[in-house]
Amino acid sequence: MLIDLSTPGGAVLGLLPELALTAWALVILLVIAWRHTTVADTRLVGQLSIVGYVLAAGAAGWLGLQGAHAEGLNLMIALDGFRFVSDILLLWIGAAVTVISLRWLERQGMLAPEYYVLLMLATVGMMLLAGAADMITLFLGLEVMSISVYVLAGYDRSRRASAEAALKYFLIGAFASGFLLYGIALTYGAAGQFIFSLIGGQLAATPPTLMAKLGMGLLLVGFAFKVAAVPFHAWAPDVYEGAPTPVTAFMASGVKAAAFLALARILAEVFPAFVELWRPVVGGLAIATILVGNLTALAQTSLKRMLAYSAIAHAGYLLLAIWAQSDSGTAAVLIYLLAYGLTTVAAFGILASIERTGTETVRLADLEGLYSTRPLAATGLSVCMLSLLGFPGTFGFIGKWLLLSSALSQGEWLLPLVAMIGSGISIGYYLPVVLAMVMKPAPNPTAHDTIRFPRPATVAIACCVFVILVLGFWPNPVLNFASRQAVQLRHTAVVIAPR
Amino acid sequence: MNAFLDSIGYGHWILHVLLVIPLLGIPAIFLVPVRNARWVALGVALVELVLGLGLWWAFDPANPGLQFVTDVPWIGGFGIGYRVGIDGISLMMVLLSVVTMPLVVWGSWSAIDQKQRGFYILLLALKTGMLGVFISLDLFLFYMFWELLLIPMYFVIGMWGSSNRLYAATKFVIYTFVGSALMLISIVWMMWTVGKATGEYSFAYTHLLANAKAMQPYGPYLFGAFALAFAVKVPLFPFHTWLPDAHTEAPTAGSVELAAILLKMGTYGFLRFAIPFFPVFALSKTTGNVMAALAVIGIVYAALVAMVQPDLKRLVAYSSVSHLGFVMLGIWGSTVESVQGAMVVMIAHGLSTGALFFMIGMLYERRHTRKIADFGGLARVAPMLATAFAITTFASIGLPGLNGFIGEFLVLIGSFTRYPWLVAVAATAVVFSACYMLWSTQRVFFNRFTNPLNEGIGDLNVRELAVLVPLILGMFWMGLYPGPILRRTEGAVRRYVEMVSPSLPPSDSTRSSFGAQP
Repeated sequence: MLIDLSTPGGAVLGLLPELALTAWALVILLVIAWRHTTVADTRLVGQLSIVGYVLAAGAAGWLGLQGAHAEGLNLMIALDGFRFVSDILLLWIGAAVTVISLRWLERQGMLAPEYYVLLMLATVGMMLLAGAADMITLFLGLEVMSISVYVLAGYDRSRRASAEAALKYFLIGAFASGFLLYGIALTYGAAGQFIFSLIGGQLAATPPTLMAKLGMGLLLVGFAFKVAAVPFHAWAPDVYEGAPTPVTAFMASGVKAAAFLALARILAEVFPAFVELWRPVVGGLAIATILVGNLTALAQTSLKRMLAYSAIAHAGYLLLAIWAQSDSGTAAVLIYLLAYGLTTVAAFGILASIERTGTETVRLADLEGLYSTRPLAATGLSVCMLSLLGFPGTFGFIGKWLLLSSALSQGEWLLPLVAMIGSGISIGYYLPVVLAMVMKPAPNPTAHDTIRFPRPATVAIACCVFVILVLGFWPNPVLNFASRQAVQLRHTAVVIAPR
Repeated sequence: MNAFLDSIGYGHWILHVLLVIPLLGIPAIFLVPVRNARWVALGVALVELVLGLGLWWAFDPANPGLQFVTDVPWIGGFGIGYRVGIDGISLMMVLLSVVTMPLVVWGSWSAIDQKQRGFYILLLALKTGMLGVFISLDLFLFYMFWELLLIPMYFVIGMWGSSNRLYAATKFVIYTFVGSALMLISIVWMMWTVGKATGEYSFAYTHLLANAKAMQPYGPYLFGAFALAFAVKVPLFPFHTWLPDAHTEAPTAGSVELAAILLKMGTYGFLRFAIPFFPVFALSKTTGNVMAALAVIGIVYAALVAMVQPDLKRLVAYSSVSHLGFVMLGIWGSTVESVQGAMVVMIAHGLSTGALFFMIGMLYERRHTRKIADFGGLARVAPMLATAFAITTFASIGLPGLNGFIGEFLVLIGSFTRYPWLVAVAATAVVFSACYMLWSTQRVFFNRFTNPLNEGIGDLNVRELAVLVPLILGMFWMGLYPGPILRRTEGAVRRYVEMVSPSLPPSDSTRSSFGAQP
């Protein structure tokens, strides 16, 4: 289906997923206007918001199936398989986080239905960020996402840690946005264009100027902040630990995924000419991130904090595929984000249910003996840990293998070596979780009596775990699909502007 | 027999059925009441045994290549297939696995009295993993099975082990997982290298082996990654420290599976993958000397350490390190005799060490101790157990007429041409092993009956006899008439030696090996 993005009708069609979700969010705001007092109201809003995700995913799927592509250039927003897949991935994460929040908010005494609207708006921002074909859209998406997530991080107003997380995230986020904006400005100064493919063509046609290099460097720094790559990671553990657990799941999977998808697109479409320049930087970031993330995670006793450092380490693995800058690398980014998203949402979902009302965090010791009282929850969390570890038989392994494969296919051995060393270190903190749950006895018989698994969350988590296992043994459908979409990204990237 | 097997299409389905049946047992265990879980496991084990034994006849000893080969795409777009098949080397490993399985279930019959369902499920999963490792002809598939095995073993040690089990289980998993992490890089790298050279991107074992020349520039690194993974599993000397802990803390079934099968996965890996892929580097003078020297250090060092162990199970664990050293020496001897010897030691060690662990488990069930000092003079109260233990001891130290002798003898004569001095040192370990095994047997079963607690321990019951008698018969059979086994492995071994021997450096020694070509 050919879409002319320069006409109003074409623009509406091209933005259909984002518009659908935004419109639904506004409708829900109207609902909230007269239903915002009771537990039932919060629950109703949560349930209603899921419809929005379904609508938007339907729109993205429909555009993808129609083979929507732009007439001429992608103006402002990309029309390719990569964007539609990204949309569906991000919408799925938004919906899953909504489901695990459903009863959790009420248990924690947070009765403000705007939470769900913020989640939806953040998802819109993520979709714009991942689908941007233009620097302005990119920045717009980033800000819509970030501002919503700042509020979400501080949503638990009764806890100081939550407020601290929000403030920290806001300050660092503003800082990162500054870097990114400077990067955009300098790149514009060098190329005279905002549209990705035109900048790419311009930069390829002219010798690299200092201004363009600086622009790229600042953009990379901005993204490194957002994905929490070392040395720009220091905010992540505090924010992840302080934020409400479902929000942490959202940040660790959704925000990170959106930033990585955008980074993959920018490096492929805007800076393919500078590949020799940014590769060492990305490679260095990857090595530092993998090692620091994994080593620091070893020392954590709080599970949320441990998963925060593990999220940093996973960002390092993902940088491997970005580094590869190939079709297989882009496919690996998609697959890994899917695997990581599924696992993270499931793991945080289980942690959220284990959390006692009012306590700051779940410690490793709190999990002891979980298997004897809650065998299914313990099994689910064990599968998540193994998937994060990249153990064969789980989808995480398929992702890890693709990452390694994409770097190795370029004849690079150092990065995969570091990644595997990191993976070897990571068994030191994933395995104790399994050990505590399954092999240690409960400290007292009533230790796990406060655990409540609400039905919607249970269903969502069970589905995630099931999918992790099934795709671990039969990944063919998603592998082939991701490979096809990844190729599309590269094909739009080679457009050279007449100048 | 062959006509019958052919008529039911045995060769076409046997390997898949062997893999799948234990997995089918898992839901069955969930469905029956807890007290019947062990019956289901036993039933599955016996079905596996009956079906698996058919391989003994169906396998064609005259064909040195891979038999019962299946090749269907699995993750087809990425060159990964469900590729399985066996040759004489893997045949013996598969048979060893199916034979130990019912014995292990029997041996755990009364020892495992809690969480039975989980235990037998893990045993069945473990069996599928082991068989998968031995029959995989696709490196990706092999890696999956290799790693998947860790999970059931981890829980078997960690949940049903003795006091220090958590430490032992964690150590076991960390050692093996970290050891094989680099193997994954190596496998993927090989796929890309061979793919770029030939245009066919595939993880198939035969494809990679046929084009192994393309990988030679990276031989040292790739071999190193494989060797690390396998050396940890064997375990070769400096990587062996996980083994005494894991063996000692594991429940009897876990120790037996570890000794009989899991350790052999390491040596099997060297024979199947590491050396055939990179013979030039693996068998070069330096690498060969280092590996053979490590093997011999392991043989002697472990024997010396075993001598001073107060814990009977730990003693046997160290003796495993020593025996596996013989296997490694035989593999690096690279003559038909030495590799055949290595094969025989692998099987013999499975039988005799398996039997020793079973008997230690039986003693532990009766007395809840494994300290040698707590026993003494048991032959008076448990004559059958004492007899069985003595026979197994003799088998383990390599008395002629029992199974240990054939293998060690073949290894020593086969490796002599290449490593005369190392062989001379290794031969002393035969004396040491006699020391520690006989001495411990004496202290446990003979000597003076001092500890009154040992009065009522009772002799073997029917179930325990059913575990031990097949093993002891096997020891005698292998010791007196090893021909049928040697005949089945010879084709594959000869083919292996012919494949790697062009890469061997010329031997120092002017003597030719016994019975080999001039």
